[in-house]
Amino acid sequence: MGALGKPIILMVAMYVFIKFVLPNIPGSAPLPSSLIALYLLLTGSGIVIFQTLSKESKDAFWGPMQRFLTGENLGGLQALRYGVLILFPLLVGWQTYGSTAVSDLPPIESRTIHPAPPGEYTGLSNPVAKTPDNIMQGKGFYAAYCSPCHGGNFDGKGPAARGFVPAPANFADPTTIAMLQESYLFWRIKKGGVGLPIEGTPWKSAMPRWEVELPDEWIWKIIMGEYDGAHQSPRTWE
Amino acid sequence: MKPAIQIIGQILRGGISVIVAIMVGGATISFAQESVSVRATLMTGGVPVDDPSAAAWSSAPPATFPMSPQVHWQNRIQEVTVKDVIVRALHDGNQMAVLIEYADPTQDPDDAAALEFMVGDKKAHFAHGQPMLQVEGGPVNIWFWKNKTDKGVDMSAKGFGTLKPQEHQDVKAKGAYSNGTWKVVFSRNLSTGHPEEDVQITPGQFISIAFAVWDGRKDGAGELVEKGSQKAVSSWWYFRADAPPDYSGYMYAAIAAALALGFQFVLIRKLKKGQ
Repeated sequence: MGALGKPIILMVAMYVFIKFVLPNIPGSAPLPSSLIALYLLLTGSGIVIFQTLSKESKDAFWGPMQRFLTGENLGGLQALRYGVLILFPLLVGWQTYGSTAVSDLPPIESRTIHPAPPGEYTGLSNPVAKTPDNIMQGKGFYAAYCSPCHGGNFDGKGPAARGFVPAPANFADPTTIAMLQESYLFWRIKKGGVGLPIEGTPWKSAMPRWEVELPDEWIWKIIMGEYDGAHQSPRTWE
Repeated sequence: MKPAIQIIGQILRGGISVIVAIMVGGATISFAQESVSVRATLMTGGVPVDDPSAAAWSSAPPATFPMSPQVHWQNRIQEVTVKDVIVRALHDGNQMAVLIEYADPTQDPDDAAALEFMVGDKKAHFAHGQPMLQVEGGPVNIWFWKNKTDKGVDMSAKGFGTLKPQEHQDVKAKGAYSNGTWKVVFSRNLSTGHPEEDVQITPGQFISIAFAVWDGRKDGAGELVEKGSQKAVSSWWYFRADAPPDYSGYMYAAIAAALALGFQFVLIRKLKKGQ
């Protein structure tokens, strides 16, 4: 196999593992390309250090590379050598072109989906009694004011939703109201999109500022109706 | 020794083809684009500033954006006629024109359309630059067209209720209706002398754009169904006028390739000498 074969196989195996195997392990996720490059660099450095520990392993490691590059006694591989020597500068040129070319993609705007609420809204508890009557009233208000965007099925797919980016929240999704407290919803409904901090990109949100139209009591009832209708429970501290 | 070298050769060959495949694949992925921006194509000759049907429009790539009823502020509306707009743009380095196209079953005097731009560096809320509570917002520049008058109105707003025509009218507009489709062209110079109220368009730079449409139909009682804030709106999207072609990338690539070639040459020479 030679001292050069094993390192190449090791590098390829490492790449295949990081790129294709690791993301499929439960609880894992695809790695960004910069991290993959870093891991491969570390693997490569480790191999070079290991291979150059003794003079014999060093010669066995560099020897084939030197012979390939200098082209001595290469026989049938001479054509491949010329191919590599021509391809390498071309690849470098291509990469350089790619990194200097002006991007056609618009700037990336990151957005925090659930930014921190102002202090006065943390820890508020719903003052309205959780009775079937109040929940039903809340669902009625929801149908009138919220369902056009958030949907009659609480799935964010109301008839008015299609043009809005960010899309209206899907309350049936366990990563929305199920991981928030009632006080958080109270803040978001009361102040609407324009009440978001800068990391929430308020200039894009269509959510109305309901405090100018609805009394607080209605908002608390709507919150109850939303949780009940979406079959979710508010997050609590215990 | 020969078999080992052959194996190395095979591995190298395989490795190179993998690298090439990744690079080619990566390059294709980076070219794929969704409709998130309007690209104003650079053209020579007259921009069709008042001709929605000009042949030149076929050279501009279309971008489609979904519309919603305006619900952010009262008076809101829950259903609108226009569900999508198709937008194209052209410029010649001096003038620009934006063509907005949408399906509307009837031609009515009150049919209207508008473009909205953020002005300056501050973010503006897409609903007429509504004041935001935690972020200091900027104004918006609105270009408005109505079938009845068939001309453009250059307007400014910073929140609902503040919309008013500007003193300096820089925008032209013209509509054409056929086969259930409106085509409306808006045009203006890329830059104006009033950067505090007009959007300034610098080729190569992304700016924010949004759209609004009113179907001017009337209900059974003779009242307009869509009027004022009761209209179809879009979210913010991007707009960019193409910059003149820049060939410096090829020069840098050639320099880098030459350096790599030189590096190879020196390396091989040193290796040969060393042996």
